[in-house]
Amino acid sequence: MKKTIAVIGAGGAMGSALSKSLAASGHHILLMDKDSEKCHKTYDSILSELPNADIEILNCIHEGSWEADVIIPAVAYEVQREIADYIKDVVTGKIVISLINPMNEDKSKLLTSPLSSAAEELQNYLPYSKVVKAFNTISPSDFKNISNADCFIAGDDEIAVATVSSLAKDSGMMPQLAGNLSASRTLEGMILILIQSCRKNNISESGCFKILIPKT
Amino acid sequence: MFDLLFENIERKIEITEEDKAFCKTLFIPKKLRKKQYLLQAGDIAEYVAFVNKGLLRSYSVDEKGEEHIIQFAPEDWWITDMNSFLTCEEAIYNIDALEDTEILLLDKPSQDKLFEHIPKFERYFRILIQASFVAMHKRLLSTITNTAEEKYMRMLKTYPDLVQRVPQHMIASFLGIKPETISRIRKKQASNS
Repeated sequence: MKKTIAVIGAGGAMGSALSKSLAASGHHILLMDKDSEKCHKTYDSILSELPNADIEILNCIHEGSWEADVIIPAVAYEVQREIADYIKDVVTGKIVISLINPMNEDKSKLLTSPLSSAAEELQNYLPYSKVVKAFNTISPSDFKNISNADCFIAGDDEIAVATVSSLAKDSGMMPQLAGNLSASRTLEGMILILIQSCRKNNISESGCFKILIPKT
Repeated sequence: MFDLLFENIERKIEITEEDKAFCKTLFIPKKLRKKQYLLQAGDIAEYVAFVNKGLLRSYSVDEKGEEHIIQFAPEDWWITDMNSFLTCEEAIYNIDALEDTEILLLDKPSQDKLFEHIPKFERYFRILIQASFVAMHKRLLSTITNTAEEKYMRMLKTYPDLVQRVPQHMIASFLGIKPETISRIRKKQASNS
């Protein structure tokens, strides 16, 4: 069934790309961003490409998360906790997708301890929600350009992982199950490799991963 | 958000603050807008829903596209497609919101968890199902034996608020009579009084 998906930070590069991708698969998308101008830009950009998209702008992330089946905080790592505290009472039992990569300013290392990850921290802040790591190893610029990109998905709740897998598949990606939520430690580190590789080749941040399986 | 649910529960069983805190970790808070679906026929009913605010209805659609309303669920009521929820078979009913609605959802795994941790909740749900069983049989009997007027008067007596709140054609659909019949009964009532 059609899902209501709240994207918090829909004005940012990742929020905007993911909103468009999910809207294209027919879901009802609630766009939210504290920068209203950016949020409207995302809204206009989606509608210009997909005139029938079921999207709308909401001003309150608490209200939006209450209404949603799936919540995606596409925000900076630094404000993850603040957002989680704010929506905590309305996301019990719901899927919260973690796509944050907790990098330092020059994007050379992760800010989380090697024994944790942004996704696991989010799960601690929202103990009664189903946090699933996904979409974090694909550059926002490549969401619409690369079809069949691998989308690594990690989570502890089987049904939630299956739901997010089907969202990824609907968006033209290839879901790859990466394991429990603790696999997020690996997934969040993968983006560093991608960024490093782009820098070496003097290209802007882009790209994604693809597992190649030998033919038998 | 949970006040009405806890009042409803406490009319049937006693629960502690600890029980309430546990409930809050299981129920999914959700808002639906007017006309939005909670369940569509053909899907599996994953949840039982408690209505905290607003109004839902369950209904089936026949081959001619006509809607037949099975149940209305205003505040303080529970609703689901029970057969689908219990057996995981495809739902035969649609459930949608007639007004902007706030609900608390409980899925099967969470309900099992609730029963396991606080066994008296089995008693709570047993009482709900008993009441629903009795009401359903009364409704069945009324449907097959009463005249249109008797059905409407019974509805007016049992659910006076609903009759005010819901469009006449939906009341007719719920009672299995034609909307024109209700107009006629209402006119007759008005001229009698």
